[in-house]
Amino acid sequence: MRLGIVRGHVVLNPAVESFNSKTLALVEPISMQNLRAKNGLGGGKSLVAIDELGAAEGQIVAFTEGREAANPFWPGSVPVDAYCALIADSIEVQPE
Amino acid sequence: MFMARVKGTVVATVKHPTLEGCRFLLVQRLEADGALAEEPNLVVDWQGATNGSTVIVSTDGDIARAQFGNTTPARMVVMGIVDIVAAPAGSEMVNV
Repeated sequence: MRLGIVRGHVVLNPAVESFNSKTLALVEPISMQNLRAKNGLGGGKSLVAIDELGAAEGQIVAFTEGREAANPFWPGSVPVDAYCALIADSIEVQPE
Repeated sequence: MFMARVKGTVVATVKHPTLEGCRFLLVQRLEADGALAEEPNLVVDWQGATNGSTVIVSTDGDIARAQFGNTTPARMVVMGIVDIVAAPAGSEMVNV
């Protein structure tokens, strides 16, 4: 998983059937440097991830990428490749 | 699989239900020259790695599914804590 800051949400209309009632979060991955600096910046290339946890803008989430991102919808078949698995409460980083 | 250095921990109250009770570590991937990747990864660990540990992370979700069930979004899991690396003399990778 990677860590990212939620920057917003995306609404689809129309969408493929399996995406109905799914929330899409716009996530910006965070670099180690920005994570340490706690400056609210990300630094990575933004992506869209399915969010079932209700993450709000500014919150840090960890998202799974690849085939495993569709596991929560098993045994159904949903074509997702990024899924928010948790919302971070606290992140403890070892000093450099 | 890749080698990574443990740099911290993440606590999350809101998470996918299959991840209840999981230990989340913040790791940085180790490059061949011993440098750390810019972007950190969040991995699941039940081997007991601590800050500063060098670990092997697998990006295959099979072991996570076996541990947490078919619907888990967990993918990156610590396979073990690195004890010794046998590499040519002078290689940065020896200094794990």
